[in-house]
Amino acid sequence: MSRGVAVTGIGLVSPVGTVVEEVFDAVCAGRSALVRPPEGHALHGVVDVAAIGPAIDPESVIPPKDARVVDRSIVMAVRAAEDALADAAIEVGRDVDPYRVAIVLSGVGGLETLARQAVERSTRGRLGISPFMLPGVLPNMAAARVAIKFGVRGYTSSSGTACAAGGQSIGEAVRILRSGEADVVVCGCTEAPLFPTFADAFGNALALARGWADPTAASRPFDRRRNGFVLGEGAGVLVLERAEFARARGATVHAQVLGWGATSDGYHPTTPRPDGSSAAESMRLALRDAGLSTADIGYLNAHGTGTKAGDAAETMAIRGVYGDDMPPVSSTKGVTGHMLGASGVVEASIAIMALRKGVLPPTHNLDDPDPACDLDHVRGEPRTTDVAAVMSNSFGFGGHNVSVILGRAGG
Amino acid sequence: MTSEIRQFLFESLTVMKYSTADMDDDTVLGPAGADLESLALAELSLRVEDHFGVRFEEDEAEMFAAMTVGEFCAEVARRVQTASAT
Repeated sequence: MSRGVAVTGIGLVSPVGTVVEEVFDAVCAGRSALVRPPEGHALHGVVDVAAIGPAIDPESVIPPKDARVVDRSIVMAVRAAEDALADAAIEVGRDVDPYRVAIVLSGVGGLETLARQAVERSTRGRLGISPFMLPGVLPNMAAARVAIKFGVRGYTSSSGTACAAGGQSIGEAVRILRSGEADVVVCGCTEAPLFPTFADAFGNALALARGWADPTAASRPFDRRRNGFVLGEGAGVLVLERAEFARARGATVHAQVLGWGATSDGYHPTTPRPDGSSAAESMRLALRDAGLSTADIGYLNAHGTGTKAGDAAETMAIRGVYGDDMPPVSSTKGVTGHMLGASGVVEASIAIMALRKGVLPPTHNLDDPDPACDLDHVRGEPRTTDVAAVMSNSFGFGGHNVSVILGRAGG
Repeated sequence: MTSEIRQFLFESLTVMKYSTADMDDDTVLGPAGADLESLALAELSLRVEDHFGVRFEEDEAEMFAAMTVGEFCAEVARRVQTASAT
């Protein structure tokens, strides 16, 4: 069985759009999604700036009786999965045995639902707790809802590696496909963190950008004046298939997943290892897995959230791996904000578009590169160049590091 | 009392996105009729507990599946009367 893994479907729900071309155009043009939360939004007056996803009527993706009790994270995941499966033109049961389809769909779960129920419990006691709370809160429920809706019967799981979970879901999908345990994997991540308890947790940890009169200036990865990330929401789902399976059914292939790597910092719950050595190792593992050298990577979509420590550590890691073979680097979070684990999938999708179009999106707001972030930055305008392979990094609280390498469909 | 309970029941079911248009006292609450699944029956019992101040035991919600609307309302009314008498 070959190791080839094809990306045949992309489904996104992001603050800059729900169609991958639209998302790619936004990050290339610098059409920022960052706004001051408007009156009526849960974060109005709570944070200076946020990246808010599109409104989705839950009943448009889930039967009404269930839609009443699902968390927004699940609604976004089901929408993204629906779009990804439609993009792949694959119907479970018709085009693939339901037991040969797996799901790896991650995220922190329905924490907003949990927060609301905690308030109900403290004010109304036992009677305030809904019997539907658990299917609204558990982090596996996005995967479960997708399985229920599309009749998937194979292996299903959910990774809990914070902001690395999207990248990790892609990696686990690759592992499953290479092992031959499934022909198709629906993989991705969904995050709905835009509610006061969670936002205050990041804010009080001094992780959020603050003090920007213009909200669109608040997310500025690698810039000297960066002072934190902008909290965002979204979901990203990819349909991956064994390359032979995709070929046999005549599927349109967007790209290949060539390799991936994952490591742990083993250092601190929230602060990245300052020398970036574990992040560097995840990139090296991905290169080894793909059978590529540093010179083969034509673009690197950085995790680059805009925190002082994180961007500097990632720079150390990239420099440590690539040395003189430094690829062009950008972080697209300057436009999209940080959708936590979902960022990894949205950014892998952006990297796929960069491969397909030969256009590298710039880092928005990177006006004055920090000397501590000395990289070959794509900034100002997109860079046009032919690339055969790209790397996407995702790092999470807890010290989780994941790197994914994608290649052209026919490469 | 029973009609008040029936009205509350139908209002609750409407909030829970169940159509009450074709329901009457003979409609079974569970899969054989209104099609309330286990968590929905549990929610319904919580709503009734909260509104009428009665208490159901944990395993009773499952028994509601076999009850008709009329039987359920009568049972709630009986408990309300018992509770107010004590």
